[in-house]
Amino acid sequence: MEFKELLKSKEFVFLDGAMGTMLQKAGMKSGSIPEELNITNPEMIIQIHRKYINAGSDIIYANTFGANRYKLEESQYSASELISAGISNARKAAFGSNTLIALDIGPIGQLLEPTGSLSFDEAYDIYKEQVIAGKNADLVVFETMTDLYELKSAVLAAKENTDLPIICTMTFEESGRTFTGCSVSAMVLTLEGLGIDAIGVNCSLGPDELYSIVEEISKWTSLPIVVKANAGLPDPNSNIYNITPVAFAESIKKMQPLGLKIVGGCCGTTPKFISTLVETLSYDKYIKPNIKKLTAVCSSTNTCIINRPRIIGERINPTGKKLFKEALLKEDINYILNQAIEQVRGGADILDVNVGLPGIDERNMMIKAVKAIQGVVDVPLQLDSTIPSVLESALRYYNGLPIVNSVNAEEESLESVLPLVKKYGACVIGLTLDKKGIPHRAEDRVKLAEKIMKRAVSIGIPKENIIIDCLTLTASAEQEGVMETLKALKMVKEELGLKTVLGVSNISFGLPNRELVNHIFLTMALSYGLDLMIINPNIEAMTGAVKAFNLLSNIDKNSTEYIAYYNGHKTDIKQTENLDKNDNLLYAIENGLKEQGARITSELLKTTEVMSIINDMLIPALDKIGEQYEKGKIFLPQLILSAGVAQSCFEVIKKKLSSENTQGVSKGKIILATVKNDVHDIGKNIVKVILENYGYDVIDLGKNVDYQVVVDTAIKHNVKLVGLSALMTTTLVSMEETIKLLRANNVDCKIMVGGAVLTPDYAKKIGADYYSKDAKVSVDIAREVFGN
Amino acid sequence: MFKLESINKKEALRYLGYGNSIPDNKILSIVDDCEKQLLNVIQPKFLYNIFNITVNSDCVKLNDTTLILRGKDIVNHLENCSMVVVMCCTLSFGVDRIIRQYQISDMARAVICDSLSSAAIEQVCDYIEQEIKQKYPNMYQTFRYSAGYGDLSIDIQKNILDLLQAQKKIGLCTNESSILTPKKSVTAFIGLSQTQIKQKSRGCQSCNLNGTCKFRKRGEHCGI
Repeated sequence: MEFKELLKSKEFVFLDGAMGTMLQKAGMKSGSIPEELNITNPEMIIQIHRKYINAGSDIIYANTFGANRYKLEESQYSASELISAGISNARKAAFGSNTLIALDIGPIGQLLEPTGSLSFDEAYDIYKEQVIAGKNADLVVFETMTDLYELKSAVLAAKENTDLPIICTMTFEESGRTFTGCSVSAMVLTLEGLGIDAIGVNCSLGPDELYSIVEEISKWTSLPIVVKANAGLPDPNSNIYNITPVAFAESIKKMQPLGLKIVGGCCGTTPKFISTLVETLSYDKYIKPNIKKLTAVCSSTNTCIINRPRIIGERINPTGKKLFKEALLKEDINYILNQAIEQVRGGADILDVNVGLPGIDERNMMIKAVKAIQGVVDVPLQLDSTIPSVLESALRYYNGLPIVNSVNAEEESLESVLPLVKKYGACVIGLTLDKKGIPHRAEDRVKLAEKIMKRAVSIGIPKENIIIDCLTLTASAEQEGVMETLKALKMVKEELGLKTVLGVSNISFGLPNRELVNHIFLTMALSYGLDLMIINPNIEAMTGAVKAFNLLSNIDKNSTEYIAYYNGHKTDIKQTENLDKNDNLLYAIENGLKEQGARITSELLKTTEVMSIINDMLIPALDKIGEQYEKGKIFLPQLILSAGVAQSCFEVIKKKLSSENTQGVSKGKIILATVKNDVHDIGKNIVKVILENYGYDVIDLGKNVDYQVVVDTAIKHNVKLVGLSALMTTTLVSMEETIKLLRANNVDCKIMVGGAVLTPDYAKKIGADYYSKDAKVSVDIAREVFGN
Repeated sequence: MFKLESINKKEALRYLGYGNSIPDNKILSIVDDCEKQLLNVIQPKFLYNIFNITVNSDCVKLNDTTLILRGKDIVNHLENCSMVVVMCCTLSFGVDRIIRQYQISDMARAVICDSLSSAAIEQVCDYIEQEIKQKYPNMYQTFRYSAGYGDLSIDIQKNILDLLQAQKKIGLCTNESSILTPKKSVTAFIGLSQTQIKQKSRGCQSCNLNGTCKFRKRGEHCGI
């Protein structure tokens, strides 16, 4: 029998109970590897399986939960060996019955980037090995998962390497979140999008505590719901679980109206729990949850339902932005991250990410940007590119359910983009244009929208995931088109029942007082029913319009959000700083006054040479601060605050130079990297801020950096000074390896090293040219290397 | 699990290099603000288990487990102890994210949050120690000793976490370099003895600043 038939043929499908609990009862030592028993004591495992089969399990989980490359490092057996033995034991136990065998796979045991150092691709490879080794199972189960990103890599590994059905269960805390903050809605949206076969929860809590989580799942999914609860909660001293098989079964039975379909037990449960469960549910019927599917996007921690106007931040896009282009060419990811953070603070619900620029590897840049942005902000992303392969990579590395921007009604676009949207379960923006361009008449645009919708639905993309952009035309060029756009928008909503989006800023191109036109157009579009607006959320008039609209249209009940925002909003920070009498750069830098520093700099630029500002004002001020720091008169936070001011001064200077097309003020290029496997990068980042202050151009490679990446970057950018940081004794090895590789490739550069456990002697021993005890010293080293 | 009500700011300022100096108001107000933010995301989680031990001349065996602690320093630390508490704790993932974000947008806050959360994880450790004291009022306790101190290899981090099922129960992991993730996390051993324990000084090696301490680099001592 196959899994799908099993689901059809039975009201409820019964899983097994705990394996670990049974093994401990049989005398397994704590700390040992349970999967080794598949080879060292197969009889023991087969016996346990048989007990569950006799208790009524329709599916048993093979003893393969932790059989992965990483966890088995110290084992004499490989993951493949233990998995095939595990599956074969389960088969033997099930011989003569209809019981299905699940390849059971748990978390790898390492956190993924950015909190940990395991990459998405490495996680994928580990799972791939397991899935291939277990391909003789009847289905694959990923359970006890807490990181949605890791689970996504696992599901992709299963989908791309087998045809087996997939069950996913994650482990939640009572707060309704997993350890990595993943919410129920994000789990369901993302995994259902990826096309798994059943979804639910296991472990961590007893059935009573899990009720509310299962209830939440049932609000979001129409898939069969799986529950594998613990036998209550463990006693903190004896570690014994606190509920009986009967109480367990009664509590589970309460979940039946929620759409429970597949049920078993986790920690603390035994065959008796399963047989009692089978008996207790024997007269009940499965009730398929009847949910209305919503249009929603999510990151792993933040779900955004498109049931009211939502703001998509447009700033991560190099079009028409010189500094952004420069940042892309320099692969300066922090520039992009700053844009992300600013827009979220400004009120963006979703961020558009476009890094397309001639002359760069857009695919690589997109992957970097997506990974980095989702590491620092939690709003969902809209992946924006005209190149399908870039979209595919962005979809793959995105953690959650994103929007794809975009597809249009041209055959080529439909054929290349929609299958990606389907595979990764995303939402998609459909542009109402085709080969002939944008139709003038609203009716014709609606026809194109319909064409896109029909095609998407025909390949299995839910209608709710389609968002139509009726396209904003520039009012100065096509004035009569403005109302056609709005008319089309309304028709799409009413006739096709689809959500709508518009890029707003385009409307005012070529006109004076663009902000006013944008603002009014946005307000008009909102009253025509616009759901998503792509705008600059940092402009108060635009986000304010949305807030006021929500108030006036009775979405923001009792004006709560509006009042909370405007009453708590500080609009006068700048003024207070302006009142300061000591209006000079040194004072601003010494006192950590960012705004003031920037303002003074732009004043100075009117009368003073750039190099004079840098060399005669900024650097002496910094030197003075540095000296006070060395003498212990001021401390790290002040040093960095001052550095922050200098940084804002430099930004003003950069903008000015860039607008005048003048060359930058770089005193030399320096690479900084926290070495492979080390994730502590705060020290490196301090050094970076200080070096940038002194006018050096820092190429920041981030943390956990591959040896080869350091070498390649040094060669590519002809870098004369490389700074490496490591915090742990265990990662000093990586530092040494990086240096070796630089030397082996004859890279013509000096190397400075720093980090908690380093000493000058050790630095010398591993072949570094300089030991940098702190950020201040790194500046001295840079001055020496570059002779400035 | 317990909730952290406030963070020991004095300790955090010590990590930032302020010995007996008092920071200016601007810094203090940032510290207060950062504390508030951190308290919103810190979810202290901990686990511990107590094992009978066999102390040999070159290693300590945790009975009925596969874990062996090798090295003369841990032997020395646990001499005369009949049991050892193996503990681990974490502030959870939210702190890492805040610090990551501030490293992009406001480095001074990043540094301050980093120190505050180091102080916070110490408070969680202290809480665990107190709880153990209440459970075993008649036993003497050693100070907390962690993998990586002295000659006790840091490579056993993974084994410690496996023994406590830390990943499954509190989401605490380690990477290939034995770095704990989330970052603000601790694992440690506390010996329990029926007889009084010679108070060995805690010293610099068990301090959060071990390695980065400005006082030590100057050849001085912070006085704690």
